[in-house]
Formats: sequence, structure tokens, C-alpha cells
Amino acid sequence: MRLLLVEDEIDIQSFLRRSLEEAGYEVEAAADGKTAERLAVDGEFDILIVDLGLPDQDGFSLILKLRQLGVRAPVLILSARRSVDDRVRGLEQGGDDYLTKPFALAELLARLRNLLKRNSPASSEATRLRVLDLELDLLRREATRAGQVLQLTPQEFVLLEYLCRNAGRVVTRSMILDKVWGMRIQPDTNVVDVHIYRLRGKVDGPGQQPLIRTLRGVGYVLKDR
Amino acid sequence: MFSKTAKPALRSAAWRISLWATLAFACGTLLVFIFLHRFVADDIQRRSDAWLVGEIEVLGDVAEQTPMNALHDRVVEEVAELASKEVPNRDASANASNDSVFFLQTGSNGSLTLWVGAGNGVANLKAIQASRILPDHPTHLRVQGFTIPFRVASARINDGSYIYLGLSERDELRVLRSLGLRFILLWFLLVLLGFGIVFFTTRRMLSHVREIAEAASRIGHSDLHARVPTTKHNDEVSHLALTLNHMLDRIESSMHQLHTITDSLAHDLRSPLTAIRGKLEMSLSAAMQVEQADPIVSSIEELDRLTDFLNKSLDVAEAKADALRLNRVALDLDELLRIMIDLYEPSMSERGLQPRLHSGGPLVIEADAALIHRMIANLFDNELKHLPAACTVNLRLRVEDAAALLILEDDGPGFDAEVLPHLFERRVKGKDSNGHGLGLAFVDAVARAHGGSVAAGNRDGGGARIELSFPLAST
Repeated sequence: MRLLLVEDEIDIQSFLRRSLEEAGYEVEAAADGKTAERLAVDGEFDILIVDLGLPDQDGFSLILKLRQLGVRAPVLILSARRSVDDRVRGLEQGGDDYLTKPFALAELLARLRNLLKRNSPASSEATRLRVLDLELDLLRREATRAGQVLQLTPQEFVLLEYLCRNAGRVVTRSMILDKVWGMRIQPDTNVVDVHIYRLRGKVDGPGQQPLIRTLRGVGYVLKDR
Repeated sequence: MFSKTAKPALRSAAWRISLWATLAFACGTLLVFIFLHRFVADDIQRRSDAWLVGEIEVLGDVAEQTPMNALHDRVVEEVAELASKEVPNRDASANASNDSVFFLQTGSNGSLTLWVGAGNGVANLKAIQASRILPDHPTHLRVQGFTIPFRVASARINDGSYIYLGLSERDELRVLRSLGLRFILLWFLLVLLGFGIVFFTTRRMLSHVREIAEAASRIGHSDLHARVPTTKHNDEVSHLALTLNHMLDRIESSMHQLHTITDSLAHDLRSPLTAIRGKLEMSLSAAMQVEQADPIVSSIEELDRLTDFLNKSLDVAEAKADALRLNRVALDLDELLRIMIDLYEPSMSERGLQPRLHSGGPLVIEADAALIHRMIANLFDNELKHLPAACTVNLRLRVEDAAALLILEDDGPGFDAEVLPHLFERRVKGKDSNGHGLGLAFVDAVARAHGGSVAAGNRDGGGARIELSFPLAST
């Protein structure tokens, strides 16, 4: 996976580059808009990370210019701004995503994977999801584990569906809050964890292989193997 | 515009202004008319007096020069009759007999010697004798039996007798009355016209002021781009509008400065925080023992708390300065509360708490969704952290006085007495609280930024009560 990182803070750029490379990305970095433009047009990238506060131009104008130049890869926007303005929302609707600084690396990686998956043609609208012996019927809103119907509340079903769609990938608490409850909040209580415990109690019955794993300080993952 | 201004016209200051102006105008014009009336009355009197004096002279001459014989009375009577026919301003007599003029001669002993006029002249003589009438000085005389007074001139004749010529003031009074009537009519029309002109001009003027006030009130807490309408005239009202706009310019620019400061503060703190967090996380990702990882994980958690504190502090600071930037959308509080309860219910029931929503259905406000989400999450977090087990949290949502009212009540211990008066101040928290003391300050900030309000206190029966009010969405 080729990734273009546009970030002017050298400190952040270097640790991002290292951790992204560790995560298996082939990273090219640019510290300003001009370099980013040149690199983006020359090289084929699968995904871009763009910081909004660039020294020579606004991150938005860079993204718009890149889109005009024919760059189709999804963009993950990094912003140190406090208020998320409408333009970010507009871009988000266009299939891109954003993260405010400071962020968790796991969150960044999870969102990158999410963007890449969203962009791949395989994500067609299926009516059934299957992860190992867990099966979700999206039309009848019914989940079964090893043939046994799970008694889930509608909200638990949505949560499990989200985990299944991201099976094998880490999802963070804020991603869950964002995608399942539609809120960008950071509760200082463990509200998401309690939902996961409850769901786990229903999905991972006694004697069964536990599917929902907790990654401490990061989030959750639904095992797919 | 007119349909809008028509309703409050009675409450408008235009009424008061034009009433006072009209009163002053009416008094002024009334004085002018009274003066004019007096002037005309004096003039008419002078003319009739001049006529009286002239006639009495002629009559005196005739009386003197006519020999004292049987013919004397006859000649004088004829002359007096003739004189009475050339009375000025004479009305076509309402009465057949000539009651507008009398002529009277007394002998030297004061007895009536000659009388020309209506009646027998006894009453006239009595009235004349009762009042002192100086020769050549016409005098006002009231005669019994006549409703209208006379103007009487006298002359002394050589033989010691007096002659008197009286002219009824009837015609004079009639002229003056009709003049007065016209004056009153004219005065009334003028006052009415004046009132109309003053009322419409002040109302037009004040409608500009009202437009300015309406526009100014529309310029909300955070929308400072709008300006009040200005007019082309160079008067006080347009000065008012210009001054308001200048003021808004200054407020907007200081607001902009505040935003720049908070933004750069946020940016300057966030970049190093990002770098620190990233480095900590990278050192964590390497395979390490739990004992080694623990301090790093807790450092990361501290950093996250610091970030949250930074965000909330800046939000509270901006909101205190009425500078919180809002991205308003239609937001259904009922739906939001249901989602929030759905989100928090497992955590709450785990701690033995029970959230209950009492809502009458959808209730839409125009608000910044992200801020409202954070605000309500804040309230729920507070309940979750501070309530002992087996408490109930009641959430009531309803419309009251054209505002969306959200009341959160619990049956827990309530707020500490010593923090109660300072609940919405920054850094205020209860003894056992481990938060950073921004929770309710943030709630207050968000409510105020939306033009709403928040009140908090303890319920009579024990437990905390927080009441939030938001303006309803304009449909």
C-alpha cells in the first residue's frame, strides 16, 4: 500500500512515517503543499494523509487541487483545529475521513484501513455477513452463532454488524461511537466497554472460542481466524 | 413592512411624540387665533364707535340748530331714523321693528324728552342713568329686556339736555361669532393635519429605528457577520445604524482575535501533544512486559485527559466571551436523548442506576450537534460518576414558554452545599470529584452559546436537579 503523508511538523511526520511503515505501508512524506502536489501526480498512491495546517497553503485547497489533478485516492484529514467546519464534513461525505490531533495511532491505522476497504470494489452491499461461525442476516436483523440464534437488542445488532464489517481490524471506541451511535464524543466513562461486555456475553457463549477481543488502550477486534 | 408595523402602532413611540407635538401645535395655533379674533373684534368696535361718534355729533348739531318748537322733535326724530338706517354691518333685521338702534334725549332734569327706537325707552333711560356715560366716549350698556347689549354714545347740547345714540352689538357679535366658528373649524383641521404629518413622519423615522433594532436582535451571539440596515439620509437614525455597525465591526474583530488566539493556542499545544502521544504509543507497540507498559499506558490516558481539558477550557472560555462557533442544524432532542439513554443504559444499570425519559415526542431545536452531544454526554457522565447505586435519573423533555425544556433529576445526594452557589464556574467540583471541574461550566457554556440557559440546584426531596432551556427551532 502506497501512502502519501503531508505533514509539516517534522516530529509528527517522523513518528507517523515510522509507525505507518511498521504497519506495512510504503510511505512518502511531504512537508508542504507544493511537494505534495508533485509527489501525488508523479506517483500512484492508494491513500493520502493530509494535515490541514500547511505552511504554504490550506490543506483544503491542496485536496481540491489534487482532486482536479485526477488523484482519486481517499484522504484522511488531520486537523489541529478545534471546530470541525463544514468543509471537513463535506469531504467526509465525499468518502474521506478526518481525525483531530492528538489522536491514537491505533485510531489512525483503523481509520486508514476503513478508508481503503471502503474504496475497494469488494465492499458491495451484501445481505449476509459471515465471520467464522458467526452469521448475520442483515435483512431479518438476526444473528446466529454456530446455528444458535443470538438474542440481541437492535442496538447490539448494529454494533455487532459494525464489528463484523471490520472483522480482523481494530476498531477504536471513538470509531464505534461515531459509526454506531453517530456521535463524536469522548465520554470519560466506559460506556462503550459495557456495551461490548454485554455483546460478548451473548456472542461468546461458554465453551465457544471468544470472537471479540479487547486490545488494551486501543479498542476491539472481531477475530476472523 | 406595513403589515408588520401596523400591529404595534399603538405601542409605538410615534403616538406619544405626535400627541405631545400636536398638543404644542394646538396651543400655539389657538393662541394665534385668539389674538386674531381679539384684533378683529377691536377693529369692528372701533369702526362702530367711530360711526356712533360721527352720528351723535350730527344729531347734536341738528338738535342744537333746530329751533325749539313743535318741529324740533320731529326733525331730530327723522334724522335719528335716517341714521339708524345706515348702521354698519346691518343684518337684514330679524325683527320688523328697528331694535338695532335707539335715540334718546333727556331734558336738563333727566326726564325722557325724545325717544326713537323699539319700545318706550324707559328701560334704556334707567340703564343710562345707572351708568355714567361720558360724552364722546361710546360705552357698553346692558338694558333690561334686551338680551344683546348696546354701545351708547352721548353728547351734551347747549340747553343742558343730553342726547344718547345706542347701537345694538347684535351685528358685531354675529360677525364675531361666525368668525370664531370659522376659526375653530380651521384650527381643528390644522391640528388634525399637523397631527397626521407629525405622526407619519415620526412613524417613518421610528420604523427605521425598529428595523435597526430588529436587525440588531437578529445578530445573535455568534453570528456577527450581519449588519443593521443603513439609510442614505445623513440624520440621527442613520448615525445610529452606522454607529451600531462600527460597534459590530469592532466586536467582530475582537472576536476574530479571540478565535485566532484560541486556535493558535490549541494548535500550538496539540502538535506537541500529538508528537508525545505518538512516540509513547510507538514505544508501547514494541513487545514489552505489562509492568513496563503500564506507566506508558497511564501517561497516554493522562495526555488524553489533558487534551479533553484543553478542548473544554477553550470552549468554555470562548462561550464565556459569547464567541463559541456554532454550526447549527435541526436537532431532535427527543431522538438524541433516546440514543444517549441507549448508549448509557448498560453502564448505568451496571451501577444500579435507572435512566427514565419522559418526553412528549419529537422536539426540534437548531443547535450545533457536536456540542450538544458532548454536553449531554457530560451530564450523563456526571450522573454515572457521582450517583450511588439504586438511584433513578429522570429526564423530562417538554415545551414551555416557547422553549425546549430539559430537566434532569436524580434522587441521589445532590450537590454539596458549598459548591452549590458556584456550580457553573470553572474549576469548581465536589470534594470527591476526580474530574477537572469543567463539566457544568461546559454545560452552561453550550447552553448560553445557543441562546439558552441552565439552572442547577438540589430538589426539595433530595437529589440534584439540572434544568436546561433552549430556544425552539423557528419553523
